[in-house]
This record gives sequence, C-alpha cells and structure tokens, in this order.
Amino acid sequence: MMQAIIFSWEYPPRIVGHLADYVKELATQLVKNKVKVHVVTYHDYLTGTYEEPEGITTHRVTNPVRTHIGVLTWVLTLNQEVERIASNIYYETDRQVNLIDVHDWHFIPAAVTLKKAFGLPFIYSVESLEEHRCHGANTPFNMAIKSIEWLGMYEAQRLIVKSEWMRDEVFRLYKVPLEKIKVIPAKSASWIKSILAIYQIVGGGKVV
Amino acid sequence: MVGELAVMMLTWEYPPRIIGGISPHVYYLSKSLVRSGLKVYVVTCDFPGAAQHEVIDEVEVFRIDSYKNPSPDFATWVYLMNINMQKEAAAIVKNIGGRIDVFHAHDWLVANAGIGLKHVFRKPLLTTIHSTEIGRRNGIHFDYERMIHETEAWLTYEAWRVICCSAYMVSHVRWAFGLPEDKLVMVPNGVDFEAYAKVKNDDLSSFRSKFALPEEKIVLFVGRLVYEKGVHVLVSSVPKVLGKVDAKFVIVGNGYMKEQLLNIVKSMGVANKVMFTGFVDDETLRKLQSCADVSVVPSLFEPFGIVALEAMAAKSPVVVSDTGGLSEIVEHDVTGVKVYPENPDSLAWGITKVLLDESYANWIRSNAYKKIQEKYNWGKIAQQTQNVYEAILKEYSKTTWA
Repeated sequence: MMQAIIFSWEYPPRIVGHLADYVKELATQLVKNKVKVHVVTYHDYLTGTYEEPEGITTHRVTNPVRTHIGVLTWVLTLNQEVERIASNIYYETDRQVNLIDVHDWHFIPAAVTLKKAFGLPFIYSVESLEEHRCHGANTPFNMAIKSIEWLGMYEAQRLIVKSEWMRDEVFRLYKVPLEKIKVIPAKSASWIKSILAIYQIVGGGKVV
Repeated sequence: MVGELAVMMLTWEYPPRIIGGISPHVYYLSKSLVRSGLKVYVVTCDFPGAAQHEVIDEVEVFRIDSYKNPSPDFATWVYLMNINMQKEAAAIVKNIGGRIDVFHAHDWLVANAGIGLKHVFRKPLLTTIHSTEIGRRNGIHFDYERMIHETEAWLTYEAWRVICCSAYMVSHVRWAFGLPEDKLVMVPNGVDFEAYAKVKNDDLSSFRSKFALPEEKIVLFVGRLVYEKGVHVLVSSVPKVLGKVDAKFVIVGNGYMKEQLLNIVKSMGVANKVMFTGFVDDETLRKLQSCADVSVVPSLFEPFGIVALEAMAAKSPVVVSDTGGLSEIVEHDVTGVKVYPENPDSLAWGITKVLLDESYANWIRSNAYKKIQEKYNWGKIAQQTQNVYEAILKEYSKTTWA
C-alpha cells in the first residue's frame, strides 16, 4: 500500500484560503484509492494526532516560538516541528513512506531536509507564487520566499500545477524543465487519476 | 555507538570566518576532541576563499552556502541560513551512513538546524549557550528580541544538556529559560597558551614603539566597541589615570560606538594618548597583549571573558570589572584586580595600582599564568566535554530511539 505525507499550512478546520478545502478533498480521494495518507499541518491549539472519519490521519503542530516579526520567521521556525512529526511517521511506519506532497512554499525546507536525510522524494504542488501574491515586488522579504520556492522546484521530483497558465508562469519565473511540471486542473474528471499517476511515478510502483 | 564517538558541531562561525568568540572556541574544542580520539565534523557558514570541504587538524570541516541574498534583518537571515545548514548537514550524515552520535549546536544561531537534525536522525542534541539575548540587550524590549529569546529557550528545551562556560552563565541561563538544574553543565572556555609562548620577546621593543613612547605604559583594551563591553567606561577613566601615570591607551576592535568614542577622546583633549587600531590579526594581537603593561576588561555584561584569559596567557596583568564570568576568572589581589562595573573612578584606581607597583603587577601576573594552565587548558576542557557526551549517550542507549 502506498503511503504519502501531505504538508499544508492550512487544513480544515483552519481555513485561510482555497488550499485547505482542496487538500482535504485530495486526502479524502487518495484514501478512497487505497493510499495511506498522513496530513501534517498547523493549528494553534488543536494539536496532536487524529484519525478522521474519512480515514485520514492528521497531525497538527504549533509553533515553539510564539513571538514573531512576520510570516517568514513564523514559517521558518515551524518547519522543525513539521520535520519532527514527519520523521516520527517515517520511523513508526518502519520507513514505509513513499513520498511527500508539499502544498505551497511554507514547508519546503522540511521536505528538502527529509529528502536529503532519507532519500524520500517529494512533489511540490503549486497553489500560488510569491511573484503574483506580492504583485512583482522584490524586497528582501519577497526574495526570501521566492528563494524557498526556487529551492522546492529545484529539489522536487515533480511539480503539480492547476492550470496551463501556472505552468507557463513557473517556467517563466523559475526555468523549471517543462517535463517536470504536470498540469492537473482541480475540477477535471480525471483529477484524482492524474494525481495518482504522478504519485506512482514519484513514489514507486506501490499504488494498488 | 560503533567505534569512535562521532560528533557533528554546528556553528555559524569557524576560522577563517571570525565574528566573535564562538569561532575560536569551536576550533580549539574540535581540535582537542580529535586529539582525545573522537571523530569531529564541523558544519559552518562559508567564507570567501575558504574550501567547501577540508580537513584542518584532522577535523572535517564543511562550509555551507550561507544565504547571500539581502535579508530583511539579521534574525531572518539566521533562519534562512539554517535552511541550508540543515539540508546540507542532513546530506553529510546520510553520506556517512548516519554515523553521528551527538549533534552539538553553538548558540541560537544554529538552533533550527540542530533541532531538525535531532528529530530526523533521532540522535541526541547538545547545546553550548555562549551568550543570551536577554543578557546582551539587558532585558527583552521588542518582539524582535523576544523572538530570539524564545528561539534560545526552544534550543535549550530540545537539548539533552546545556553547557555554559561559567558558573555565572549556568545560573543566568537557568533563570532566563527556567531550566532544571540537572540539565546544565559548566565547562569552562579555554585559552591556547602555547600560541602565546611562541611570541618572540626579542623583537617586542621595536614592535612596542609602533604603539607607544618608551616612557608611556601601555593600557590595552581588546573587544568589540559596543556598549556591553564597557569601552566607554575605560575612555572616561583616561584623564584620571593620566593624572597619576604617563600611559598610552590602545583600543583594539571595531563597533558601532567607534565614532562616538573618538569624539569623546578628542573633546577631553587626550587624543594623543588613545590609539584606536581597529581589528588586528592574531599575531599582532598576541604581541600587543605580550607587551601591554595592563590589560583592561571593563565589560558591563560578560558571559565568560575570554580576553582576560588571553591577557593572562600573554603574562599581562589584568584589571576586570567584577561581573559575570570575569568575577570567576579573576581572584582579586591574587590573579588580577577587580573593579566596580561602570565606574570610571574604580577602573582608574585599578589601572593605576598595577602601573605604579611593579612587584604587585609581577605577583598577579605569575599567579594568573599558573592558574590558566591548571584550569583553562583545552585538553582538560575536551575531556570534560567528552564526559558530557558519554553521559548523554548512556541515557540515550536506554531510550526507544537507540
């Protein structure tokens, strides 16, 4: 049975934008298709490990450093908690995790470290890019987030984007080889099938 | 643990990158641990002209890309640099088949990398806390400082043991982060007195003449020109000392207070008696310390006070403010002179006492030299550090991680 860890900084009941519901739906569909799913996400106080009725195991972490000067430092100190939980999953499943699927830039540092440490491949699922969120600004703050996005694209085995426009933007901004990027529109009929196919390519031939 | 004990040191500075005291500390500690038969890997920030990977004194040094884009602020740079340090260290550990027994992180500057590596490889983490934000800033006043303070607290929380280099720092760190007493260990900092023994005495008089006239006594300050080092207290004491004895004040180091200090010196009309040298290389520094008639450490906050030990190794009498680690290094009237912190009159009294009484100066000079050889030699410090590693590994062997 394939096992996947999903990293997302938002997940129900904590909904910031579009990503939370998307990741929940993704996890639900993966479970239905016989993928064992561990979601690692953030919550201020609903922390710990829960088994959801849909069969998804969620692990919610909180930030060990409470005071921050911005979202960037907040994200960067949260990554070690994500690593801690992901490592626990890795060891407790007897190293049977096949891949990590990272949604947006926040937990890219954790995914990269786990790749280097365990040889565990990851998929970078792009919801949005800093270039568009900040309307082209290039302050040191924006540059730092862009450098993390770049790191994710460089180290990821595959990128999943939700539109052809986004694929072209990723190519334009980060010069990622096009064969590394897969366009899978969220509402398409073959959505979960296409995602499973990428999981199979990245995580090995273990999908039932 | 199979075979020799293997340690991975994480440090943001290592020679030739030298910013403060952590760089020489990790250098000498690593070298001495290798001499006692340990395997030591150092992972540190890169430096222009220094190799990405090299073996120095049998210590394996890896220099990582330290994030060179402009950063919003220093703390954010630290966190960004830690992304790279962590991922590159993870790759190194994987390459050597996971054969690391302990991760040893020096200060909050490598907290993220150390904590991440601990959990990913399930090996114990140890930290040496060289200094604290609450001590450096004399309190926590802004969110920025609190964030660093909490990062330090997080590091001490995740560490199996916390090493501090003075009894003062043990109690300070215990208070600052609310740590249990049995988590803290005191291992002093050391000094390389062999390096001072190599300073050639024959050419010292011509070297001395570059800094002072023959009739002037040399009063030496070495340190960053920042508030906590108390260099402004020394400058205020200059006219008081000059009223009693002819002297040249040599101030080595740079910092944000330099302009201000230069202006004060000028306005007091003693510019010809105070010399600012800026940063100097190791050899020049050792020679200066060897020909100083008195070395002054007037710090307001000082976790340890390595510069006092260096002066003692150079056989220069020391006058220190009675604070922090300095209080422990110096025994008043035996190995040096202690004065009241932030008190120019007291400092001037101490300096004058040493400069005017040669037999007293010789007495404290020789006592101090004996003391540092007994207590502050790196071989002994490495042994104490190794004992900490072994104690941790013994506990570790009984956990589910082992």
